[in-house]
Amino acid sequence: MAGALVVFALEQSALSGAGKAFAAVSSGPVAVTGWIAVNPDNTVTVGFGGAEMGQGISTGLAQAAAEELMVDWSQVRTESVAPSKSYITGGSWGVRANFAKLRTAGAQAREMLRTAAAARWGVDPGACTVAAGVVTNSITGQTSTFADLAADAAAVPPPAAPALTDPSRFRIVGTTTPRLDLPGKVTGAARFGIDVRVPGMVFAAIKNCPTFGGTVSTTPATPSGCIAVVNLGGAVAVVARNTWTALRGAANLSVSWTTPAGASAMTSSTILAQAGTLMTSGTAGSPVAEKIGDAATAYTNAATKVEATYQLPYLPHVMMEVPNCTVSLTRDASGKVTAAEVWVPTQAPAWVVGTVTGLTGLTAGDVTVHTTLLGGGLGRKIEQDYVAQAVRVAQALRQPVQLVWSREEDLSHDQYRPMALVRVRLGADAQQNLTAYQSRIVTPSPLYQRGWIPATGNDNVDGAAGLSYAIPNKIVEYVRHPSAVPVGFWRSVGESINCFAVESALDELALRTGADPVAMHTALLAKNPRGAAVVAAAAEGLGWSTPPVSTPVTAVSGNGTAVTYTTSAAHGFVVGQTVCISGLVPTAFNKAGAVVTAVPDPTHFTIAGTTTGAATTSGSVTGVGRGLAYSEGFGSLSALALEITLPAPKTVKVTRVACAVDCGLAVNPGQVEAQLQGGIIQGISAALWGQTTFASGRASSRNFSNTRVLRMRETPPITVRIVPSGLGNLGGIGEVGVPLPAPAIANAYARLTGTRIRTLPFFPGAGMGE
Amino acid sequence: MTVLSVKVNGTTHTIDVDPAMPLLWVLRDELGLTGTKYGCGIEVCGACTVWIDGSPEKSCHLEVKEVTSVSITTIEEVGNVSAKAAAVQKAFVDVQAPQCGYCQPGMIMRCAKLLSSSTKPSDASIDAAIGNVCACGTYPRVRAAVKKAAGQ
Repeated sequence: MAGALVVFALEQSALSGAGKAFAAVSSGPVAVTGWIAVNPDNTVTVGFGGAEMGQGISTGLAQAAAEELMVDWSQVRTESVAPSKSYITGGSWGVRANFAKLRTAGAQAREMLRTAAAARWGVDPGACTVAAGVVTNSITGQTSTFADLAADAAAVPPPAAPALTDPSRFRIVGTTTPRLDLPGKVTGAARFGIDVRVPGMVFAAIKNCPTFGGTVSTTPATPSGCIAVVNLGGAVAVVARNTWTALRGAANLSVSWTTPAGASAMTSSTILAQAGTLMTSGTAGSPVAEKIGDAATAYTNAATKVEATYQLPYLPHVMMEVPNCTVSLTRDASGKVTAAEVWVPTQAPAWVVGTVTGLTGLTAGDVTVHTTLLGGGLGRKIEQDYVAQAVRVAQALRQPVQLVWSREEDLSHDQYRPMALVRVRLGADAQQNLTAYQSRIVTPSPLYQRGWIPATGNDNVDGAAGLSYAIPNKIVEYVRHPSAVPVGFWRSVGESINCFAVESALDELALRTGADPVAMHTALLAKNPRGAAVVAAAAEGLGWSTPPVSTPVTAVSGNGTAVTYTTSAAHGFVVGQTVCISGLVPTAFNKAGAVVTAVPDPTHFTIAGTTTGAATTSGSVTGVGRGLAYSEGFGSLSALALEITLPAPKTVKVTRVACAVDCGLAVNPGQVEAQLQGGIIQGISAALWGQTTFASGRASSRNFSNTRVLRMRETPPITVRIVPSGLGNLGGIGEVGVPLPAPAIANAYARLTGTRIRTLPFFPGAGMGE
Repeated sequence: MTVLSVKVNGTTHTIDVDPAMPLLWVLRDELGLTGTKYGCGIEVCGACTVWIDGSPEKSCHLEVKEVTSVSITTIEEVGNVSAKAAAVQKAFVDVQAPQCGYCQPGMIMRCAKLLSSSTKPSDASIDAAIGNVCACGTYPRVRAAVKKAAGQ
């Protein structure tokens, strides 16, 4: 109840600015509360305080309000509120942190509308029922629409603790309501930040110093056809009458840069060597993120041990809409800036206000920020670098300006997912029970780099520390890597690092002990039945209990340089494909990771090998590897099982994926499915190809020419099972799918090839072209 | 700068631009048709796909002087001139394909053309035709949308 009162108090304070709460309140809508407005056509507009970057939260939160407001979904609209009421969109917090607030807001408005109707009719509010945006007097049968009542309702004091609908009677929450933002996204009408057009505006393209930390030594002359060059210290902006002229001017501009003294240390090989040194040396003074029992002794005494170090790369975000920001400054007669208006695809509108006030000296009340649709955010659009640049260019001009980064600037000046070395030690007793778990994570810290945590703080331990696995002795150590490469928040953040290390190491142990990965996880989750249930659901989704498709091998013939296998049915392999042969005697004929060198006919295939003679038993061959991974990130529990093939050298094809998630209550099951699928697709891309390397402070990533992501033809079928556990367990979804594919693919790869991949990506340097 | 004429969505526009300016930026900055998107600028991602005389083309390197005698159709109008495109747009909403939505205009331009040439496309032909990049990973639903629009 105390919580509800706090919410109420916040809502009341927000109400005083109700007129400003909605970005564009016309004379028509009536703001009943700071979050709910009623429109003349009896639709309702639910305020949205976050960033819609594809994850569907503007719809999910509107569902929460609409449920209690007693309107039909067809009556619901949504609109961004002012930054003062906004929140940072990140950490998959959008729905789980705001669901109760919007639900309460909907209930408050409903009660205010009901009270207004009751007063009009002179009856007790209890005699009035509400449905489909209409209040009905149950005594007389009189009705009144929300639109009729809105002005009266706005004057009713909001109830502190309005009655909430029992979840068992939810009509809208928990259903796949159509997203509110999609119609405009299929017609070109949707306006992203880069689509903002303001009268009299000019366009600016950025050229950042190619070396991180470098500065402009001399401001270059304005290129022909351009309006201005603005020196921003670490970058220059080229201003022109259209985007293309600005982009071309910036790309071709010759700038003399001053390179920072430490640039040479920003080299991938140097950074990796530092990380290796820190892995050995770095425990003194390093924070311990988790310590249970005595993991060192338990590891020493273990019957079976695995120690492995996993290496992960810096990753660019690769959101489709490049960084951009549009700024219009108002000046008085003396030229002094008196107000600012900003249109920006941002995950942090309140921070944008701070960026603007910090640069202009304006007060927050003089700054208007419009959060546009985001063409992807992925953690990149929480940053303020491109906002600050746009404001500074606008300060140098006398016109509104839209600053745009080229794709090359975006990928080469990202704030990257940090690289990491993670060493995992696992120990099991003679009965194969895990007794020891140690993780040591060496990685640069986005939080420390920004001054948000002290030197003794830890970062990026999510996915390693706090796991519910029933292991009696655990220690997780964080070792901060001081590399100066700018690092940031990449969708799923620390989970993207540690899930790979932990789930790979568990699989390495399973291979050593012969344990089935599903059985191992089920045992480890003995005290977490929800976790065990999602593992079971993912396994069932893939058909884990049925082994991967294989073909019996009935005869073998080796001639000293090649071995030809006869199968009892068509094997379906192609030359260059990797297969795993097992069960034969002599065992020398068995081989994981065998590459098919010839396919004489559908029931024979040949591999290179020196074993001669024939087999005395039958065996089998498969071209399929299967892997499992589990994660507990963002308040949700998730598991993923998948299969891969290696149809050609340097080619991993994920052929099918089964995922399961317990996010408590799926507010919009269709969007949960979409987010899991999309996150898994991003996770596959990152595992196979994602990385940025550095040479003397210069990033390798340029464009899709050297940054590969999955395309439709490479995308496997992905099933998503939702394992509900109730509203009380409401968890995040936007990032949940991302960490799982990397370990699952590595685990599948190890089974098919006998080779463990401990360094991501699988295929560095991959690019795309048509 | 050169005065040129381009026919976009059935209307002939006279513009005074650098004749080397790619069509993408003519549409976005000169004509205010911002539905066509900048994604990579190197003709890989397909966010800038438009129709040139009914065929999908990437517009980020297509110099405007090369398209003065053709008919250009963009996402803003395609649903009005092509029943297949309208069906694809409806199907994208029906299956709730878009996430962030930024790449979807290019996707739709490409998918609509596929349906014009292949009334019942197989998964393989959809995969072969749609090489557009989507960072959100809408591919499974885009595939489903194409099939739904084809009545499959």
